[in-house]
Amino acid sequence: MAYKELIKNFDKIRDYMREFYVYGFKSRDEYNKKSGRSYDDERRRLESWFEDYIGFHQTSDGKNVFISIDSRKTHHNPLYKAWKAKSFTDGDISLHFILFDILYDENISLTAGQITDIADRDYLSEFDGSRTFDESTVRKKLKEYAALGLVTSEKLGKKVLYKRTESLHCHCRDALNFYSEIAPCGVIGSFLLDRTGEQSNIFTFKHHYINQTTDSEILLKAFLAMKNKNEISLTSISRKGRKNLYTHLVPLNVFISVQSGRQYLMVYTRRTKRIKAFRLDYILNIEESDTAKDYEILRETLKKVQKNMWGVSTEGGSGRMEHVRFTIHFDQYEDYIFNRLEREKRCGTVRRIDETTAEFSADVFDSSELVPWIRTFICRITDIYFSNPVLQRQFLSDLNEMYEMYGINDKGGEQT
Amino acid sequence: MIFSEIYGAYYLCVSKILEKAVNGSITDKDIRHIAEKYAFSESLLAIEPALKKQKWTLLQPDGSTPIQHIPTIPPSTLEKMWLKAILLDKRIKLFDVRIDGLDNVEPLFTEDDYTIFDSYSDGDPYNDNHYIKNFRTVLSAVKSHRPLRIGIKNKRGMLNEVSVIPEFLEYSEKDDKFRLITSGTKNNTTVNIGRILYCEPLNGNIPKHNNQKRNLCTVTLALTDERNALERVMLHFSHFEKEAAKIDDLHYIITIHYDSSDETELLIRILSFGAKLKVTSPESFITLIKKRLLLQKQNLSSNKSTAR
Repeated sequence: MAYKELIKNFDKIRDYMREFYVYGFKSRDEYNKKSGRSYDDERRRLESWFEDYIGFHQTSDGKNVFISIDSRKTHHNPLYKAWKAKSFTDGDISLHFILFDILYDENISLTAGQITDIADRDYLSEFDGSRTFDESTVRKKLKEYAALGLVTSEKLGKKVLYKRTESLHCHCRDALNFYSEIAPCGVIGSFLLDRTGEQSNIFTFKHHYINQTTDSEILLKAFLAMKNKNEISLTSISRKGRKNLYTHLVPLNVFISVQSGRQYLMVYTRRTKRIKAFRLDYILNIEESDTAKDYEILRETLKKVQKNMWGVSTEGGSGRMEHVRFTIHFDQYEDYIFNRLEREKRCGTVRRIDETTAEFSADVFDSSELVPWIRTFICRITDIYFSNPVLQRQFLSDLNEMYEMYGINDKGGEQT
Repeated sequence: MIFSEIYGAYYLCVSKILEKAVNGSITDKDIRHIAEKYAFSESLLAIEPALKKQKWTLLQPDGSTPIQHIPTIPPSTLEKMWLKAILLDKRIKLFDVRIDGLDNVEPLFTEDDYTIFDSYSDGDPYNDNHYIKNFRTVLSAVKSHRPLRIGIKNKRGMLNEVSVIPEFLEYSEKDDKFRLITSGTKNNTTVNIGRILYCEPLNGNIPKHNNQKRNLCTVTLALTDERNALERVMLHFSHFEKEAAKIDDLHYIITIHYDSSDETELLIRILSFGAKLKVTSPESFITLIKKRLLLQKQNLSSNKSTAR
């Protein structure tokens, strides 16, 4: 099939965008799951959508293509473009503009038959040998638009009348420019900005994980299931690429990390009777099923366990809690270090021991989640204790490995 | 459904083409210009022939159109639900927002539906009237590019007054803070909105110093892909401009471009990955890492209890 810039399905491009943006070191041959032709088409699409952000590496294995974006330099997420590349038929686009031109005013109510007649008479007849729309096509499109909320239908006897939905009176330009970047499913705000033409360059964003947008459709399904208090079944892909189906899950909350770029769907699993986290970027699909009658109770359960969650790990079933404690030293003029501890402590407790020493402690389900954060205090840690002995050994052995890696010798000096 | 052609670049582009055609007729040059502005780099190759060959029955060869009104579509239910959701956000008071027509609309999400679990707890005070007033003054100045006189509390708690030309507002989700990026001062180009004691528009112009350009530096890292380090590192640093190269199945080289003012933050973020990530250049960055490790080794050596 000939190459087309637009796509029918988002799933494949979602994979490629992640590969090109997050990783960006694979050569054409390494995309071995897909055919070479498929790779060439997807690469060409990404080059067309993100032309200002595409880079190349020439290696012995061939040309590696990557997307590189400094999110602080951009006012609007460039990756949103992928959501604006859905394919359509010639009839779809023609009918779209004709339909809303006929229903140009909110007071115009017409049946599908009337709309079809007007379309043929006033629009299509102007074109030589042009197509006509049959009434069933027009009705199908109207129903599709009614489901999207673009038109409303009203039954009058045997007739069904359609009219365009009322417009909004919206004064929110600055808010739209801000929230379209930082709110969940922000791409929806970008759609609104496109139509109003109110994009402005007044905001930039630091620590901005723009790749999270690739999971917007999954996030939307999760929000809708939560709104309906429904159970879901979910298909996710493991790190090794295996597809797994999970059923009888109750979606409780979306946990978003602004430090790692990850988003998780927190669910209660009926089978194991535990709360579990699913990475959104590993979820392929979500489908709603039965109503969860105990929805509010389960949400409360999550709120209770959150008091002992550093990240997304919850109890492993044993109910056992792990304790972690460390002490840091700072100089008298370094109060900002103590402040750092305070503002980053999450569910932990900070105790000031004296003017230059502070202690952090926490009881959590999984103390390994704290390790990366604790390492950010390297050079200040004077004492550390994990109740999990494996982690205690691991932390110290990792430190030793770092000393060795940078040539720091046993006496605390640099190796020559 | 987010992935729909009604939100797409082609529909937007054709809408703009028809808007022009409704007001008269449209030329090939206009079509090219609109396609370049509203669609993708290769879109013109599809849009122009589809309109000209009348596969899309919207435009006549002479550039006229049977469409009689400027194309508009009402907001979808999804768009309304999203708008309703942002109206419930804690930061909405910062903005002058008026939206009529959402009374019977359910929000797509509320603060009960999602949790940002690792942002810092000392974020800006979005409910504070003084903060809101300052934010709005700054926002207005950013939009009008009018200079501002700002009184700031510095780190030692002293008043510091600066005159600046506002460039844009930078928001960090991690810090949950807004910063004003400015030009016009010799040294300080960033002002934390939360630290502003007072600010007012300044009449007239102030000399513009050429210091708003960021000082970009580069650090090169060697990564060992154990304990899922590759995935964690690449995602963690994904918001930087960066390049990665594979050495073998276990080893990778990553180059990150960063603003020099973020060096300390980047340094501790690299340290957070432990021995799986090693700085290989520049030498100055390696020295910073070594200095911290040396101190750490001395700290723990002097405390035997930890070494058990």
